[in-house]
Amino acid sequence: MSEKIISEKKTSYGSLDDVANTALFMAVFIGVWQIVFMLGIWPKISLPSPYMVAESFVKIIWNHSLPVSIGVTLARLVAAFVISIALGTLIGLVMIKFKGFGKMLSSFSAGLLSFPSIAWVPFSILLIGFNDFGILFVVIMSSIFSIMISTYSSIRNIPPIYLDAAKNMGAKGFYLFRHVTIPAATPSLIIGIRQAWSFAWHAIIGAEILMSIVGLGHILSVGRDFLDMGQVIASMITIFAIGLLVDRLLLFKLDERVRRKWGLDQHR
Amino acid sequence: MTKLQAKNIVKHFDHNGNSVLALDGINLNVEEGDFICIVGPSGCGKSTFLNVVAGLEKPNSGEILLNGKPISTPGPDRIMVFQEGALFPWLKVIDNVEFGLKMAGIPKGERRQISERYLDMMQLTKFADSYIYQLSTGMKQRVAIARALAMDPEILLMDEPFAALDSQTRDLLLVELQLIWERTKKTIIFVTHNISESVILGNRVVVFKNRPAKIKKEFVIDYRRPRLAEDENLQKYYHQILEELKSEVMARIKDENQ
Ligand SMILES: Nc1ncnc2c1ncn2[C@@H]1O[C@H](COP(=O)(O)OP(=O)(O)OP(=O)(O)O)[C@@H](O)[C@H]1O
Ligand SMILES: [Mg+2]
Repeated sequence: MSEKIISEKKTSYGSLDDVANTALFMAVFIGVWQIVFMLGIWPKISLPSPYMVAESFVKIIWNHSLPVSIGVTLARLVAAFVISIALGTLIGLVMIKFKGFGKMLSSFSAGLLSFPSIAWVPFSILLIGFNDFGILFVVIMSSIFSIMISTYSSIRNIPPIYLDAAKNMGAKGFYLFRHVTIPAATPSLIIGIRQAWSFAWHAIIGAEILMSIVGLGHILSVGRDFLDMGQVIASMITIFAIGLLVDRLLLFKLDERVRRKWGLDQHR
Repeated sequence: MTKLQAKNIVKHFDHNGNSVLALDGINLNVEEGDFICIVGPSGCGKSTFLNVVAGLEKPNSGEILLNGKPISTPGPDRIMVFQEGALFPWLKVIDNVEFGLKMAGIPKGERRQISERYLDMMQLTKFADSYIYQLSTGMKQRVAIARALAMDPEILLMDEPFAALDSQTRDLLLVELQLIWERTKKTIIFVTHNISESVILGNRVVVFKNRPAKIKKEFVIDYRRPRLAEDENLQKYYHQILEELKSEVMARIKDENQ
């Protein structure tokens, strides 16, 4: 019991430390930025001051373009990501079931894993059109392969001893899958999901810059069209913050929880 | 009555393209209620044999008969205590012990009762809610034993289950296992490196030859129970078995130096 209390304290201090470190880093960053601005190397229009960016922030929040963009982008992202996970997992499982097919598809998808998401855009515009579905398509194609490969390899890399022990106790079929295969593969599956998430996030901003009339990527490109660097930087900061928050608060937390339970965080 | 029959079991493994013969025609009749100990040099094929009996490994030829019927798949009638423990890191200790019971459809209350009884026997009650990584090697081994006993199988297959235990715990469990065996009339096949362990536990001790494994000799140990580790009268069996085993271990060492 006392051990538990100590370890919980340690982690909450840990996250306080994180917050303090981040705040310190931000302060230094903004300070340097301000100094560079005051040196006047670039004209104001190319490099606004932190204060001017803050004003842009207030402006795009006030005229609702920022909240609406965030909403639209996240809605698209969630829709695409859910499809990507469902379909990717399914294909991954089929790859395991049919070994020849799995081998073939895994080398094929390894190539597509590093395929730049932006390069799907022209294809998607011509195939599906200049619309939401076209954007979803780009995001799905950019993230589904890492889900497929991670499902395939996570399950194949389960130590056989777990499956042996479960079979020995009479587990088979769906019960074996649900109560042994899935949990045994979970730490590695989460890594795949984190990777897919980051691919999806890259893809949606890129796709929105090129093929959307709303969304975070869109207000970024509007900023460019109107030579409004304040809005460009404000959008970039928003994109950065959302990416960080989702990874840290959701995926990283999940990963950490599983790793702690498994005792995978015992490295000294 | 013959509980389990191994008929001419042959098993080879593929070792980087070469075929390695692990089991070279094992014939063994296990009577109901037998406590068989298998001793043999490291790497001779003891675990492989248990895996074949458990149905986890398919023999290249030969067959295993359980109650006269050939078996080829694993089943909860033959529960194994794996050499590596093989506990599930995503489950708490108590849920590990209950894994097989849950699958067998035993209701929750009864499951708890059974798992608590065996955790108590293994002196692990305090660790019921721990995760596996929080246990020492010996504690893990005891969880694995509790999990196997909780399943109450017809045949218990134990692969060096006491290897990681301190000698006090081992002595306690040596007595405990004999009592369980006498009480439940279970059939047990128990693999060990440790000759005194085999003499204390087994009513039959089977010595495996160096790889490829064959049965070299069998000893029947007819002596009152519960046998204690310090019993002088067991010494004569110990020396007989040691004599048989020594030459096999020497053969293995020679093998490895070639
Ligand atoms: N899956 C496998 N693939 C290839 N070779 C294997 C495999 N399992 C076992 N072997 C080989 O079979 C032989 C017997 O192994 P086994 O694990 O049965 O030995 P053992 O008698 O249990 O040894 P120990 O007492 O050290 O546990 C060894 O030579 C080993 O290299
Ligand atoms: Mg072994």
